[in-house]
Parts: sequence; C-alpha cells; structure tokens
Amino acid sequence: MTAGGDVVPWLGPDSGAPLGVPLVDLLDRVLATGVVISGDLVIAIADVPLVRLSLHALLASVSERVPAPWSDGGPL
Amino acid sequence: MTATDVGHPRTGTSGGGAMATCVFAVLRTGGRQAPALTPGHAGGGAVGLLPLPGGDLQAVVQDVPAADFTQEALRRRLGDPLELERCARAHHAVITAAAAGGAVVPLPLATLFTASGRASAALADRRDRILDVLDRVEGRAEWAVKVHVAQHAPAPPAADGKDPAAAPGRPGAGAAYLARVRGRERDRQARHEALLRVAGRVHEAAAAHAVAAVRRTPHGTAITGKDRPQVLNAAFLVDDSRATDLVAAVRALGGAHAGLDVHVEVSGPWVPYSFTSLGEEP
Repeated sequence: MTAGGDVVPWLGPDSGAPLGVPLVDLLDRVLATGVVISGDLVIAIADVPLVRLSLHALLASVSERVPAPWSDGGPL
Repeated sequence: MTATDVGHPRTGTSGGGAMATCVFAVLRTGGRQAPALTPGHAGGGAVGLLPLPGGDLQAVVQDVPAADFTQEALRRRLGDPLELERCARAHHAVITAAAAGGAVVPLPLATLFTASGRASAALADRRDRILDVLDRVEGRAEWAVKVHVAQHAPAPPAADGKDPAAAPGRPGAGAAYLARVRGRERDRQARHEALLRVAGRVHEAAAAHAVAAVRRTPHGTAITGKDRPQVLNAAFLVDDSRATDLVAAVRALGGAHAGLDVHVEVSGPWVPYSFTSLGEEP
C-alpha cells in the first residue's frame, strides 16, 4: 500500500530481485496471464477452480499481513 | 546455455526423478543486451535460453522436477499460500529479468513440457502469434491503476433492527417503514452510481494515454478493507514515452469527488502480462 497514490516502484529487471513487488499486484498479473499454452505435461494455472481455492487461502493471509487492495474472487 | 536435448523425461542429476521443462517467456534473439537469468523455481536446474526453430526467437526455460508439477502436486503446492507466493515470485523474477533482453511474451505460471524438444515444437507452432505480440508490446509496458474510495460510513439506519417490530398497530407505521427502506435504497444507488462515475473517469483518463486497456473485476472489501471499496482495477499497455503522462493524468484525479474521497494507485512499469495472451485454450 502506498501513500497518496504514488507510483509503486517495483525493482526493475536490473535488480533481478523483484521482492519489493506487492504480492497482490504480482498475483493480479501473474495469475491473469492469458491461458496456458498447451504444454503436454501439466496445464496448471488455467485450471481455474484449483487456483481460486488457493487464492482464497492466499488472499486471506495477504489481508492479514498487509492490508492490501485485493480480490474477493481472485484475478481469474 | 541450456539443455536442448529433444527427448523424453530425463533424469535429474540431483533428485534422480524425471525432469520437465518449464517455459517462462519467449523473446527475440539478438537484443541489445542478453536477458538476465535468475534462479527460477526451487529444486530445478539453471534457468537458460532455448533457441527456437527459425533462429529469431528464444525461450527462457528451466528443467524442473516433474514430480513437483503434476496436477496433484500443484494442487497441494498452490494451495499453500507460502508456496504459491514463492512460485509466483520465482516466475515473475525470471520473466522480469529476461525482459532486460527486450520485449517478452510471458507464459502462464507453470507452463510445462515433458522435454525441451516438445516445448520448442509447441512454441514453433505459435510462432506467428508470438511475433505479433512481440511487435505489439515492443517499447511499451503495462501500468496498473487502482482506485479506492474512502467511504464515509452512511448514517447508520438507527432503528434498523427494531423496524419490523415498530409499533405494528400504529396507523402509518408500515408506510413510514417502507419510505425509510426506499430512502436507504435510493442513497445506496446514488452512491453506487457516483462510484462508477469516478471509476469511469479515471479509466478514461488513463486509457487516453494507452494503446490498450483491461478492466478487471475490482477486489472486494474482504481484501481492501471494509470502508475502502475498490472501484477500479485496470491495466494499461502504454508506450514508454507516454508513461509519465498517464501517471500524472490519473494521479490528478485523486482527491475529493462529489463527497467521495478517491485514492488512485498507479504501479509499473510491469512486463505486459495482461496484453500478451497467446489466445490458447487449455
């Protein structure tokens, strides 16, 4: 959460360690990335019900740790 | 840089189990700078570059223990908040580091193939689409804009709990009760519409500087906090040269709007996750 609408900087590619990215923002993007290309072993994150379940657990923990803006229903 | 063997599940050097190929992203070869490589998923081999047929594209890949990425294992791991966070951060770290080498098409978390040969064949099939997407995101980045509204608690309907029982015998009590209910509903509607207008204005202001926009369902108050509803959760694909304009434009809209206290958050630049779908059905 940032004060007053500041740009939230994430540590860019140069840092190689984007640990500064707020988790909620990260999941908003990473888990919303299109649909899985047809990998031939496992198609993971497009399995929406699976991920939704996980997200509820994760989001609950996020909101406890940092009161951060995030989802009821997850980004999917 | 990485194993380019075409074959079937290999045996890892460490655990002795079968290995699978995890693909993180695709980018062009010959960027001004080599893509940076981060460690990737725990338990896997080194993250490396897999040249794709045609010579002008390369994938960022890692050998990972297949047993960690079966449907079962993923259900377990991604159900564990810490593990999900770890996976998502590792994935993001690899992709953002790779973006040092130029525009990237990030693939979804846990895109796996039984072997690097299978990965390169699958990506070769999508070559045209990948090149289109790369052209589209070149020189652009994703910016996220979120709007929250500090909601001044509506006057508590004082008699709410008692209403149904309120002097049932008294003439006019029923009508008064219905009038109150209607009034509350009207207020709620008005507030709702005001929120939508604010969200719309911010979205338009940002979109004016963007080449594409995605609007997601705003997150609920369970996450944002009861008195801080999110009214806009959007992402914009923005030319690098226009990013500061977008940031300035949306930030200027923060503050008071018709009795609403509007908080605008902008974050970026992000790798354009929301604008690089290869449009595949699973």
